[in-house]
Amino acid sequence: MTEDHAGKPSHLRLSGGVFTLSVLRLESLDPAQLESQLKTPENALRFLRNAPIVLDLLQLPDQPLPLRPWMDILRAAGCFPVGVRNASVAQEEAAAAMGLPHLRGRELEPARQETPGGAPASMAPNEVQEGGSTGPGQILRHPMRSGQRHYARNKDLVCLAAVNAGAEVLADGHLHVYAPLRGRALAGVMGEERSRIFCASLEAELVAIAGIYAMPDPDHPLWGKPAEIALQGEQLRIMPLGT
Amino acid sequence: MAKIVVVTSGKGGVGKTTTSAAFASGLAMRGYRTAVIDFDVGLRNLDLVMGCERRVVYDFINVIQGEARLQQALIRDRMLDKLFILPTSQTRDKEALTAEGVARVMDELHGEFDYVICDSPAGIETGALRALYHADEAIVVTNPEVSSVRDSDRILGILAARSRRAEEGKEPVREHLLLTRYAPRRVQGGEMLSLDDVKELLRIPLLGVIPESETILQASNQGIPAIHMKGSEVATAYEDVVARFLGEEKPLRFVQPEKPGFLKRLFGG
Repeated sequence: MTEDHAGKPSHLRLSGGVFTLSVLRLESLDPAQLESQLKTPENALRFLRNAPIVLDLLQLPDQPLPLRPWMDILRAAGCFPVGVRNASVAQEEAAAAMGLPHLRGRELEPARQETPGGAPASMAPNEVQEGGSTGPGQILRHPMRSGQRHYARNKDLVCLAAVNAGAEVLADGHLHVYAPLRGRALAGVMGEERSRIFCASLEAELVAIAGIYAMPDPDHPLWGKPAEIALQGEQLRIMPLGT
Repeated sequence: MAKIVVVTSGKGGVGKTTTSAAFASGLAMRGYRTAVIDFDVGLRNLDLVMGCERRVVYDFINVIQGEARLQQALIRDRMLDKLFILPTSQTRDKEALTAEGVARVMDELHGEFDYVICDSPAGIETGALRALYHADEAIVVTNPEVSSVRDSDRILGILAARSRRAEEGKEPVREHLLLTRYAPRRVQGGEMLSLDDVKELLRIPLLGVIPESETILQASNQGIPAIHMKGSEVATAYEDVVARFLGEEKPLRFVQPEKPGFLKRLFGG
């Protein structure tokens, strides 16, 4: 409890806070399309359970938005829309009427270094690494076995024991596996294209970076060898580790 | 205080019940008071393999539901007076295995026995989860074959996440690999995974290798745990398993193909 300038007790205290929010860029006005996208197994929103998200309207024409069905679909998928950005004046008003404020976040240049405290109010997922990274990566010491899944949100993931066939490891940043990688490995799952996968022995069922995936097979020249995987353009490049 | 050992695999038909019966008998032969429990509700087999199916009056489920006392349901083994069998019900389903009920029975057994062996059903449903929940140690029975290894891997993950030890943040369940139905000749021919392949894939300490053998079939049809088939490879292999489990050093046997004898070499096999 504080006292305001008139000397009356106040039950409110206003302070500032900087938050990292995920941004969902909508590319179609059709709610059915959003719904079907959410049903694909590779959609990243399944990692956003109970997470607040901002709807980016940049790609959409200045037309009335199907906000109500969108909200229902997203909430059913377990996400909480908390605002919109890049809205036209009319869209902004409609969103405000639905309780979705217009957020004026900046889009960061990938190369730009963000100084702490200067983070914008809303950040696209691919900015998380630069501006909103939260400390060192996470370390897993035990083997990941068939049916197990581990996701390091906003971080790198370091696996010190094997990732076995049927297991899945995911990270928003890089993935390091200092043991055989036999399962599925997904780096940059929120869209960070500069994420990489490093492993001591490449035997993976699937590797993916920012949604681009490859399924290496035992004929691959680097099969069973130390490898690094990076995204180049629209393709994954698998190269020997340490070159 | 009893040590609780789960015999599990994920996959069916790999030799869990055979192993439970032989292993429990082996411990009792060494003088330990041992109980072996059938968790495969609805598909009871352990009592058949132990040869006591005609002596089942009350079962595990009756005890869980308070219809019988534990002492009434435990059956003393025909051959070993330190061994007791807690058979399961043929007519109920796995939902009858309530968490509280199983915990109560385990508690009661804890004070009475040195070892409690839990024979898990196949799969990763309620029955298997209940069987492994209280385990201090786990014997993961695996066949030298890809799908069995994959299922064992799955079960190892579940042991690491959903056992009581994991939930209470205690020392993890001690894991042992038991490779069963191993045929060195077929490994050599490339039809089966080798011992080294399986060890490399699962990466847990090896407790033993049980060779593929007709003896197992004969033993279970007669209701005699395989460890009693004196002189057979299988019995010797199970004796080694019990010895290693108790901390003795035993060299591995039955992992190399048998050398054909002189006559066989002369006339062909």
